[in-house]
Amino acid sequence: MNRQIEVAKNHLKPSTRIGIMYAIIVLVVIIFGIRLFYLQVIKYDYYKKTALTGQLREYQIPAKRGIIEAFDNNGVVPIVLNEKKYTLFADPKFITEPEVVAAKVQGIIGGDNSKIVEKLKADTRYSILAKKLSTEQKNSLDKLDLKGVGTREESVRTYPQGDLAAQLLGFVDDEGNGKYGLEQYLNGKLSGEPGQLKAITDVKGVPLVANKDNVISQPKDGDRVLLTIDLSMQKQLEDILKKGLDRASSKSGSALIIDPNTGAIKAMANYPSYNPAEFYKVEDGNLFNNAAVSSPLEVGSIMKPLTAAAAINQGVVTPNTTYYDPSFYKIGDATVSNIEEDGGAGTRSVKDILELSLNTGATWLLMQMGGGSINQKGREVWHDYMVNHYRFGRQTGVEQGYEAAGSIPDPNEGFGLDIVYANTAFGQGMTATPLQMGAALSAVINGGNYYQPHLVDKVTSNDGKSSTTESKVLKSGVVSPGVSNQMIDLMEGVVNKNYYIYGMSQLRPEYSIGGKTGTAEIAKPGGGYYEDRYNGTFMGFIGGDKPQYVIVTRANDPGIGGYAGSRAAAPIFSDTVEMLINNFNVIPRSR
Amino acid sequence: MQSGATRRPLVASKMNRRHKPDYILVLLTVILLAIGLVTVYAISPGLSAQKGVGENYYVIKQLIAVALGVGAFVITSNIPVSTWRKIEKPLIYTAIGSSVIVRLFGEQVNGAYRWIQVGGLSFQVAELIKFVLIIWLAGFLTTRFKNNQLEDTNVTLKPIMIALALIAFFVAFLQSDLGSTGVMVMIMASMVFVIGMPVKKLLMIAGLIGIGTILLISTSSYRRDRLTTFLNPTRDCQNTGYQACQALIAVGSGGLTGLGLGQGVQAYGYLPEAANDSIFAIYAEKFGFIGICVLLGLLLALFARIKNIINRTADTYSRLLLVGILAWLSTQSFINIGAMIGLLPLKGITLPFISYGGTSLVFITGAIGLVFQISRYTSYSPVTEELINGSKNEEDTTSRRRFRRAYNSSTSGR
Repeated sequence: MNRQIEVAKNHLKPSTRIGIMYAIIVLVVIIFGIRLFYLQVIKYDYYKKTALTGQLREYQIPAKRGIIEAFDNNGVVPIVLNEKKYTLFADPKFITEPEVVAAKVQGIIGGDNSKIVEKLKADTRYSILAKKLSTEQKNSLDKLDLKGVGTREESVRTYPQGDLAAQLLGFVDDEGNGKYGLEQYLNGKLSGEPGQLKAITDVKGVPLVANKDNVISQPKDGDRVLLTIDLSMQKQLEDILKKGLDRASSKSGSALIIDPNTGAIKAMANYPSYNPAEFYKVEDGNLFNNAAVSSPLEVGSIMKPLTAAAAINQGVVTPNTTYYDPSFYKIGDATVSNIEEDGGAGTRSVKDILELSLNTGATWLLMQMGGGSINQKGREVWHDYMVNHYRFGRQTGVEQGYEAAGSIPDPNEGFGLDIVYANTAFGQGMTATPLQMGAALSAVINGGNYYQPHLVDKVTSNDGKSSTTESKVLKSGVVSPGVSNQMIDLMEGVVNKNYYIYGMSQLRPEYSIGGKTGTAEIAKPGGGYYEDRYNGTFMGFIGGDKPQYVIVTRANDPGIGGYAGSRAAAPIFSDTVEMLINNFNVIPRSR
Repeated sequence: MQSGATRRPLVASKMNRRHKPDYILVLLTVILLAIGLVTVYAISPGLSAQKGVGENYYVIKQLIAVALGVGAFVITSNIPVSTWRKIEKPLIYTAIGSSVIVRLFGEQVNGAYRWIQVGGLSFQVAELIKFVLIIWLAGFLTTRFKNNQLEDTNVTLKPIMIALALIAFFVAFLQSDLGSTGVMVMIMASMVFVIGMPVKKLLMIAGLIGIGTILLISTSSYRRDRLTTFLNPTRDCQNTGYQACQALIAVGSGGLTGLGLGQGVQAYGYLPEAANDSIFAIYAEKFGFIGICVLLGLLLALFARIKNIINRTADTYSRLLLVGILAWLSTQSFINIGAMIGLLPLKGITLPFISYGGTSLVFITGAIGLVFQISRYTSYSPVTEELINGSKNEEDTTSRRRFRRAYNSSTSGR
């Protein structure tokens, strides 16, 4: 009975106590169930998002950069390709014996042993030992199985034609961006679109292959670009330019060949150049510039045919119009005069203006545009021709990075406008690139159509669709077709008269060869001009019944005596004409 | 007492009769073990990659553990319950001895000594202690109950307090294992409670434990971290709260249906201890709320099964063993799961049946074997108070007498 009192006192019988224990267990399970419902069902979105924030990482799948091809005779050959190269890097944290490792590595990559040791000891976790190693080198390195040393694959540009057309092509930097030239201008098309890999990864960032949350978009490889350039012509032009500049003791220059009937650039060369495969070794950044399109300079007398064409096209003169040339004009405080050889004052024709390269003649032409004197009307008309007919002062839109626009003075704004404009009539006081000159001359001699100069013949996308560049007329009626023919005759006359000075061994009457020299004063950076330094320029064409190629050459600041235009730039033109006749099927006159 | 025995000789002989054991208990255990194996199998490649071992390393080790567990089950399910009482002393010595050895020769991990390396296997001493604690306390309480000494301070409460002190010293302090300590305390509390200890006394002991716990937590910086982390799990997800946050992310991102067996991500290095302590969260990520309901349902069914056997077991010693095992399995599950779902601080103990880890698995299957053995001697209907209390009058409580009717009890009363 004692026990029963006890039980009563505790109010809890043994079976009840087990019941309580079990009830607590059930209660805990229920609480857990509710909590889990809260976490997994109600808060699911939150935790899913949080999970993905930690687990989802994005990677780029690099797209293959498009290759660049060019014509070679009648075929097509690659000029820029891609190649697998390897970057050798080390994590100095894992390098215990830098000297031993350096000796082994140096045996394969070459270079300075002490510099490698230095890099192996660097206070970083990622030290680059060498770049652009070949597959063979990489395999040899792999065999060494060095701890803390690894290679990373990368795609680099390779140039089967060496440094040919380097400045025209540009290069691709270590980040894969096109720099300068075509690579820069067409970077978007060439680089394509990298693919995206959004992957669930493990904690170290290694993608887990089988996961439904992974998102992959395939990379879209870059477009393949075919240039209008003829490689053989380019190669020969580069050689001719180099030889001509050496001959004239000129340190730099440019030359280009353009098809006047389409605007297609057939060759475009500058000197000095660089090797695009080793762009990182170039110290002077100016070397990257394609001077023919990005370096505008005062063009000198090669402007005169354009001045004449404008005046003739306006109907204020004809090729045979004569005038009295006083051998100098005083305009304000300044004087426009001619060179001594031109023989002083006398009666001259428009033809003489070009053949003798009379500055006074060009000034006289400008006067005719204004009705007899240099005035606002004349300035405005001539400005309209320069800017709207010949399209100076604006980019041509050629597929090149850093294309320069050049500059044309405003006809109504500024001081000494009359002398400034007189100067522009013979190519001073304004700037243009060789390509702008070539494009303008093309329009003058092709019947009056200004074709947009272009370097790209065809772009083929990854899916095989290709688009060919249509010749694009930016301005028609630059001059009338009749004036165009007159200009061809006039410029032929210039060459006929001066061919020997230009370095031609003989006249080639079966061909139509015309041109004009320019000897431009070089502007001082601080204003004014150098006394005895000039840039030689030449602008001309070759063809038969109609012009087939327009050629522009420029030799900067030649050391040779005489007039820079005829002694330095003209021989480059002459050699180019010879080269074209010999190798590129220039069609002779039919009559 | 004698009258009870002499008056019902036939009944007594019937009471010893052995019958079919509880196969559902075994079935539930097998299903739970299979779930554990499948989960470990699914995360094995990820874990192996992180650790740099063979792809099936974890699965093979877990299979070995299951094989050892089956062995343990076979042994315990065939040993008569009375035997445990006889080898009680050697077991206690082994447990205390192991506790000393683990401190002297054990592997130190994070300042704690929990593992003894034997050959290629590591042995977690706390699991042995839990098992021995149940054996000892069942015998101890049975004797006190029969002698009506449950409320005697010297004879009953003092040894229990000493046992608590020993656990506090060896498990909580030396092994730095608060999780296992919690399980042991709950085992003791449950057994003492069920045998009939007055609630007032229990509360008194609970108060003492509470003070002890506070002392322990305040003396260890990483326990403080775990507690502050628990109180505000997202406060510092990058450092101290990392595991807690990752566990919640794993559980929460599982959603209603889970990511699928081969789809989980958190096991790939994000969630620490993915195969052991954190396996519940991994399971939750893979199988979602529905899978969790199945798992919780299975665990609850197993607990219900054990409770059912308790209710139909008249022998006090056996009942106490069962109560201890039930407390063990349930508390350990709850402490583990509670930590994964942000309801309890992280404790670093395994989820019974599911977690990767040999020692825990062997002892738990061994305990199930014990339950299985006892289930051979249940009555068909629940036994009553009087019968159980009446067993105080039996000389030998391990004779597995079966009381079937209440009136037997009343006649056997004093």
